[in-house]
Amino acid sequence: MGLASINPDLPKTQAELLYDAQLRKERQFRTNVALSWFAMFFLLVFLFSGQEVKIGSLTFRAIQIDNEFIRNEIDFIAYGLPETLKISVLSIILAMALALLAALGRLSTVPPIYALSTFYVSLIRGTPLYLQIFFFFLALPQLGIVLSGTVAGVLALGLNYGAYMSEIFRAGLSSVGKGQREAALAIGMTTSQTMRRIVLPQALRFAVPPIGNDFIAMTKDSSLVAATGFVHELMWRATRVGRAQFHNLEALVMAAIFYWLMTIVLTYLQGKLETRLAKGDQ
Amino acid sequence: MTSALPVVRVTNLDKYFGRLHVLKNISMDVSERQVVCLIGRSGSGKSTLLRCINFLEEPSDGTVEVDGLKVESHHKGAEHRQLVHDVRLKTGMVFQEFNLFPHMSVLDNVIEGPVTVKGLERSKAVELGEMNLERVGMLFKRDEFPNRLSGGQKQRIAIARALAMDPKVMLFDEPTSALDPELIGEVLNVMKKLAQEGMTMLVVTHEMGFAREVADRVLVMSEGELIEDSQPEELFKNPRDPRTKALIDRYRSGDL
Repeated sequence: MGLASINPDLPKTQAELLYDAQLRKERQFRTNVALSWFAMFFLLVFLFSGQEVKIGSLTFRAIQIDNEFIRNEIDFIAYGLPETLKISVLSIILAMALALLAALGRLSTVPPIYALSTFYVSLIRGTPLYLQIFFFFLALPQLGIVLSGTVAGVLALGLNYGAYMSEIFRAGLSSVGKGQREAALAIGMTTSQTMRRIVLPQALRFAVPPIGNDFIAMTKDSSLVAATGFVHELMWRATRVGRAQFHNLEALVMAAIFYWLMTIVLTYLQGKLETRLAKGDQ
Repeated sequence: MTSALPVVRVTNLDKYFGRLHVLKNISMDVSERQVVCLIGRSGSGKSTLLRCINFLEEPSDGTVEVDGLKVESHHKGAEHRQLVHDVRLKTGMVFQEFNLFPHMSVLDNVIEGPVTVKGLERSKAVELGEMNLERVGMLFKRDEFPNRLSGGQKQRIAIARALAMDPKVMLFDEPTSALDPELIGEVLNVMKKLAQEGMTMLVVTHEMGFAREVADRVLVMSEGELIEDSQPEELFKNPRDPRTKALIDRYRSGDL
């Protein structure tokens, strides 16, 4: 394969041989990584299997988990998945809107707008997400504003991620060269048409991979919303059944598996999306 | 026979970048169907002058008139913005770095202006776009994306994009300076064809051969001043200003 396939009749040149050797090395590496992954996964499964292994005079006993409890409660915990995803999706939408506004504000030459943007980013990044969730849920009622757990959670997550993501949008916007704006203006586009049709689409394409990363991070940070006690997502469900029946180990392991699977699927989808975007760029 | 109608007229134009005086009291015009080349050393202000005509640079002082639309530089506000917009509709611009929109296909690049700015129906715009791509010999790449094309092809598409807006005058800002030498010819050929079709053109260029062959007039700039305005043959044979002579000698010796 490789370069040699261009000219199958000729003996391989030194360059082709080197190239083939390198390919073989890379394939070997990937195979070994996959095998190691499998071994680690097997070890992890074994760790919770309750089996006994004797090596010489030593006896190892793996952790015994209550399979009965898992069978009974897996549905209850699994129903938290859609709730977790719902909160994450709503929050990321809010976060993107805020991030875009903050990024535009950051590029503004009007002092109050620039200040508002930097003020927002500084305030939100300077305080913990956990505190922000509680602020919306517990502090606002004192002012007569009572929000449901979901609304408080989405507002806090959206505001928080929006502040961090404004940097992504700012980088995206400044990645679009001055020449692009000039070309758009020269054919008679207004500044808002230029922004909408020329600058934003290019900035967004630039921003998609890091937004994907943040979305994946958010699906996990959404677990903090469980602290309100009124949002029945994965974490809330796991701690609820775990505490009630003193089976926190099983409950948390189940939740961990759900989060992990979700992350693997989302990472895979994000990879696909990135490949597709890269194609249009060639 | 000579139509003396000026499509572009610049009067007493000054431009400062901070304290730097880059255009010093420039007055010039381009008549209908004329091809005018603007030459001069780097930093002489020729690109800035071109960019002042469609207000990518805002002149500090003076008047720019395009096809009867008169824009005084010291005016501001909504009325001024509208006037600048109207001037841009009458001018087509081709950049040194092409500046095609990378997220759009070749055809979409060309019809973006007609559709978004003029509100033309898409089917009609496609027809118009294809016609203009044909004019520059790039119709066969209509569905390709810009990043897959050579510099010469990109520049020809950029010309088609400007032409699709049906401008009164085409402004070229060193259209071949970013190209590999073997790709310059195809772009110059398209420009020659446009000149033959009677397009009014103002071309900032280092291509002396093109200026000599195609231009009706050549303007020479030096340190922000317009130092010469003559017909190409005369300019190349008897440059009046010693600075023009020095410039031409440098081109002849292949120094630029």
